[in-house]
Amino acid sequence: MMNKKYLPLLIALLITVGANAQRPTLFMGATAHLGNGEKIENAAISMLNGKIGMVADATRIRIDPTAFDTIYRVHGKHLYPGFIVPNTTLGITEIDQVRASHDYRETGAINPNVRTLIAYNTDSKIAKTVRSNGVLIAQVTPRGGMISGQSSVMHLDGWNWEDASLKSDDGIHLNWPSSFHQSGWWAEPGTINENEKYNESIAQLKIFFKKANSYANSSGLMDLQMESMKGLFNGSKTLYMHANNASDMLDAIAFTNDFEITKSVIVGAEDALKITDILKENNISLILNRVHRLPNSEDSPVDEPFTQATKLQEAGILFCLSYEGDMEAMGARNLPFSAGTAVAYGLDYEDAISAITLNTAKILGIDKYCGSIERGKDASFFISTGDALDMRTNNVEKAYIKGKAVDLNNHQKELFKKYKNR
Amino acid sequence: MRLRFTILFALFSFQSLLGQETFPVNGVAQNFEPIHAFINAHIILSPTAEINKGILLIQGDKIIRIDSNMNIPNDAIIHDLAGDFIYPSFIDLYTDYGLLKAKKGKRNYRPQYESTKAGAYHWNQAIHPEIEASTVFSADKKTASTYLKNGFGTVLSHVQDGVLRGTGCLVLLSEKSEQENIIKPKAASYFSFSKGVSSQKNPSSLMGSIALMRQTFLDTEWYASQDNQTNLSYAAFNNQRRLPHIFTTNDALDYSRIYKIADEFEIDFIIKGNGKEYSRIDEVADTEFPVIIPLNFPNAYDISNPETAQWISLSKLKDWETAPYNPAILANHEIEFCITSSGLDKKSNFISNLRLAIKKGLPKQAALAALTTTPAALIEMDDKIGSIETGKLANFFIASKDIFENGEIYENWTAGEQHIINKKQNIDIRGYYTLNADEFSNKLISIKGSKDKPKAIIFGLDSLVLLTKLDGNNVNISNANGTFRSAAKFDKERISGRYQDSIGLYHSFSMLRDSLFNEDKKVFILEIDSVIPSVWFPNKAHGFISLPQAENIIFRNATVWTNEQVGVLKNTDVAIKEGKIIAIGKKLDELVVFPETVKITQINATRKHLTCGIIDEHSHIAISRGVNEGSQAVSAEVRIGDVINPNDHNIYRQLSGGTVASQLLHGSANPIGGQAAMIKLRWGSSAEQMKVANADGFIKFALGENVKQSNWGNFERIRFPQTRMGVEQVFYDAFYRANAYQKAWQNFNDLSTKDKKNATPPREDLELNALVEILNSERFITCHSYMQSEINMLMHVGDSMGFTINTFTHILEGYKVAEKMKNHGAGGSTFSDWWAYKFEVNDAIPYNATLLNNAGVVTAINSDDAEMGRRLNQEAAKAVKYGGTSEEDAWKMVTLNPAKLLHIDDKMGSIKIGKDADIVLWTDNPLSVYAKVIQTYVDGKLLFDVEIDKQLRDRDGLERMRIIQKMSEDKNTGKKQKPQPITDKLYHCDTEYDE
Repeated sequence: MMNKKYLPLLIALLITVGANAQRPTLFMGATAHLGNGEKIENAAISMLNGKIGMVADATRIRIDPTAFDTIYRVHGKHLYPGFIVPNTTLGITEIDQVRASHDYRETGAINPNVRTLIAYNTDSKIAKTVRSNGVLIAQVTPRGGMISGQSSVMHLDGWNWEDASLKSDDGIHLNWPSSFHQSGWWAEPGTINENEKYNESIAQLKIFFKKANSYANSSGLMDLQMESMKGLFNGSKTLYMHANNASDMLDAIAFTNDFEITKSVIVGAEDALKITDILKENNISLILNRVHRLPNSEDSPVDEPFTQATKLQEAGILFCLSYEGDMEAMGARNLPFSAGTAVAYGLDYEDAISAITLNTAKILGIDKYCGSIERGKDASFFISTGDALDMRTNNVEKAYIKGKAVDLNNHQKELFKKYKNR
Repeated sequence: MRLRFTILFALFSFQSLLGQETFPVNGVAQNFEPIHAFINAHIILSPTAEINKGILLIQGDKIIRIDSNMNIPNDAIIHDLAGDFIYPSFIDLYTDYGLLKAKKGKRNYRPQYESTKAGAYHWNQAIHPEIEASTVFSADKKTASTYLKNGFGTVLSHVQDGVLRGTGCLVLLSEKSEQENIIKPKAASYFSFSKGVSSQKNPSSLMGSIALMRQTFLDTEWYASQDNQTNLSYAAFNNQRRLPHIFTTNDALDYSRIYKIADEFEIDFIIKGNGKEYSRIDEVADTEFPVIIPLNFPNAYDISNPETAQWISLSKLKDWETAPYNPAILANHEIEFCITSSGLDKKSNFISNLRLAIKKGLPKQAALAALTTTPAALIEMDDKIGSIETGKLANFFIASKDIFENGEIYENWTAGEQHIINKKQNIDIRGYYTLNADEFSNKLISIKGSKDKPKAIIFGLDSLVLLTKLDGNNVNISNANGTFRSAAKFDKERISGRYQDSIGLYHSFSMLRDSLFNEDKKVFILEIDSVIPSVWFPNKAHGFISLPQAENIIFRNATVWTNEQVGVLKNTDVAIKEGKIIAIGKKLDELVVFPETVKITQINATRKHLTCGIIDEHSHIAISRGVNEGSQAVSAEVRIGDVINPNDHNIYRQLSGGTVASQLLHGSANPIGGQAAMIKLRWGSSAEQMKVANADGFIKFALGENVKQSNWGNFERIRFPQTRMGVEQVFYDAFYRANAYQKAWQNFNDLSTKDKKNATPPREDLELNALVEILNSERFITCHSYMQSEINMLMHVGDSMGFTINTFTHILEGYKVAEKMKNHGAGGSTFSDWWAYKFEVNDAIPYNATLLNNAGVVTAINSDDAEMGRRLNQEAAKAVKYGGTSEEDAWKMVTLNPAKLLHIDDKMGSIKIGKDADIVLWTDNPLSVYAKVIQTYVDGKLLFDVEIDKQLRDRDGLERMRIIQKMSEDKNTGKKQKPQPITDKLYHCDTEYDE
């Protein structure tokens, strides 16, 4: 509770701000996709001091133009909350085949203490090409091992990782041991065999989590790994369990229940449709695999990956889309189009927007700040001259991160300019 | 004349009787060879002849007489078979009996490019026709017995390793010496597409093996015409030309691959099959080659866990169900075939699998022929083995009953040598006895059970089962507590002997048989289930039950993207007939369009978009066993066209995304890769049928990081080139060599006929042939490329050596040299937006397609990726987004422009009268992310339809459950297979290894 003696000071401060206050910026006339499933055809949206102010239907209110510093008339254009790409190595890798540019995989199997944000490259050439398609926020995620480390949610703009961070160390990524594993190597995949060490791995995990739980309730010597795990037991961090197989997912869910981990998310979830009842019962949300992927098996329906989101929506599961996989960093700019494909295969358009905005924000625990166009949230949004989910029309004209205009230029546009006018 | 012949014959037979004379004998000579007479036998002489109750006489290693009635020589040893069956013993043409398996050399992390084999042999370690099985054969009693148990008498044995494997020897399974057992030292020569244990890098792919084999065949011909060189491998092969050639396959698709080689070099092969012939039976039949098939029927899967059972693909389930019908299917198609016991997990399953094949409709005669007369004839040994005939080797086995039903093999005779397999129990001791002894009187005992395993039981209240052993007429009966342990003999209705009691005293006893045991005879009934499961095209999920036919269709009122001058036409009709577009216009009059009476389908395409099909300039789907032959810097001799895999489900997936044709490219592991194949995605057809007829030949070249092995780790630093500097030199070197080669041939061809006869022709080189084709504009280059420096370089090479680069593929820095490309005459086929995956794609930009297009370069957008290949429409749309290309131009980038680059735009790539009816019907503007394919036609055949697709899903689901049900009911006790998920092998440019 605030001490009363400061109250006059606070009032004075507010008055000062009011007097010198910048006036808000207004965006008039856009079709605003709010991210929460709603749409305003002719919207009036203002921002001030990095936050969204008014969100209104322009046909229903009177606008006093003098009240605004700048008014952008964006009729016929679309306004979206900044798209969020979860579960990505964007910013901690640059060129797939250049090892020196990789900062996503630490050596060893158990690394809950390592944190992606400190390797985050705010001047990644790739990130600039991603944000110019409307993706403004990324959950930068480590890879490899059994416990890869901690992700952080980052803005795709910033001077350094401190000010780029939206949520530091938001969660720990656990690659759930697979009940089967593949022999051979990438170019020569062999058969897939049952993982004989599955139970052993799970036992190992259990011991580690038990230890971490005990550490969380005691005051021993500093142990970096244990310290990093603390947040899982007090609800300040999310456990991201990467699993695809139905039985693996079920085991993972049982595991979090055993340890009473309140925040857990399944990442991947290829088989999610087989266990929707259990997912619902346990209130598990999902970060899905890339929509643009091949069906799971030769027998699978050809459009299986395209229809998964629609079916999960119908089943009432909270999910968001990701772009994990080959060339995921540079491919993150195609996240909007993967949502577009889901729309083509039955997902409601505004639900598809949610799947890359508010749903993602909820799952990552950042919906207080972003994910939808709502008064008081960060002014992180963009305007596209056309439908941003369709590559045919996606054309990001303006983008803001916390109210600051984002430079939409990038290395590729520069080269285009240079060679176009040769 | 006649006299001389007789004498010769006599001499011959005398010699054969005393064959052992070449050996010194320790002891006294055993010269006497008695006559064995097998009487009261049911003799199966051959698949077509039998004697119901006959006599077989043998002496030494030969059959000397067979008849239904004769005077048996007095001195003959009589074997009364009492109705048992005699069969000619089986012959297996595909074994490695008596030979050591080839051993893999030590694994070396550094690649081995040259042969490490010492001597004047072939440069490639996988080519060793000089290996003769007979020189390393060593009889092996233990293994022989496994063959003897299954009824085999002779086997053809070879070292199962390599591409040209060498010769096999025909051996008897007797206990005699090797000298006597090898009855034909060189009976056949063997071939395969697998390199085997060779540690040499080449060949690293199936197409590499094929090319290596073809070049070797050419070289052996050339070798025979020259005398400058000695090559023991070629010499050995040339000596084998008259032998039967046996070619082993890995899958049913290999048949047409082998056929092509056979056709090219005029070799008749015998094909060792794989048990899946049914899946491509017409292709097997078309080769007209005899086939050797294994009985490797898959075991049932463990389906108790529905989750893991989900991993078993429908194709595996169908294979399980259909495989036992394979021999019957071959017989139905009148394909000449043999049966081998190879390929079985357990040799002991051979007879049971053979019987299973009979139950599934294989006629017994055909089965017997496949195991006797056919193999004998194929290796030209039918004068010695394969049937029971006077003068032939005494190779036969004796079975209790019909071997194809439930007969048990008692004895297997090889060249007159007896092998007891199962002792025949002649005496039946079963019956009801009364036992009398010191301690017992009139104790009633019954002996029941089977004839060879009888069981004695004390009659009465106690009904104690006694332990009973029988060997001939020796009987041991004992009780469980050891108070009665007896040894006795059965003779004349009586078992009499002695038993020992609990304190060790012996007592005599006697059991008299009061009455015989009346067995409830189970009559064996052969139930033939010859309803062959339906085989789909291809035999897996989404396969067609019958192939779609070209339809006559009028699409009404569509938005038609013509790709022609007229652009996008609204409310327009398109008519197709016999695979071609025949009319385009508003409100077409069907009577005018189809004047003849034919069945016409009208499709309402209102608010739908109609386009030609998508053409993918750069694809690696539908390829078997390896996309790169990167073991050499130049591999122009390999051909993707040899290894098309029509069963790849990505074909169907891509049809569902509107793709109708793909150029299947070799990978980018080397500067000069292999020859490409242009296919239409004719789902259900064969590999050859998929090829676009009369399409120009293309070849893959590559530049940059892949060819200089930049990202292959630290060991791959040996192969030249390792820098862009070296890459240029590879090209110059190759084309200078090609030039010289072409001149050499020209000089030779210019010689007069007479001079030609005296001259040695140049050695034909498949690699240089392909390069010469490039120089003569008969083959065209598509070159994997990224950076402007190297693109520029290759154009310089081309300009100075006199060829044009048809297409730069990927060409991500093409926008930097667009002018130069235009001037050179090269087109570009690029990715829409890929970059940052390698150092060399740092400057790749999604504006590339637009910039190239604007510069007047024919520009396409390709996939190089099985996933992207099914939504290339979306990739084309990115040219609109990034560069501002017009929608029509963007659409051409995945249709007309690739057709131009591939020289097929006279047939494909636009909606124009006379062009192929490769048509896609879309729900929306095809460039929109919201556009979905409703139908895809290839040559007027409906190969994907969103509604039919739903039906196929339902059908596949029902088929799966039907077979799983059948599998649950399967009584076969064989070990159940564990279900395993399948991972697709997806090829990209830089997928290196395969075999």
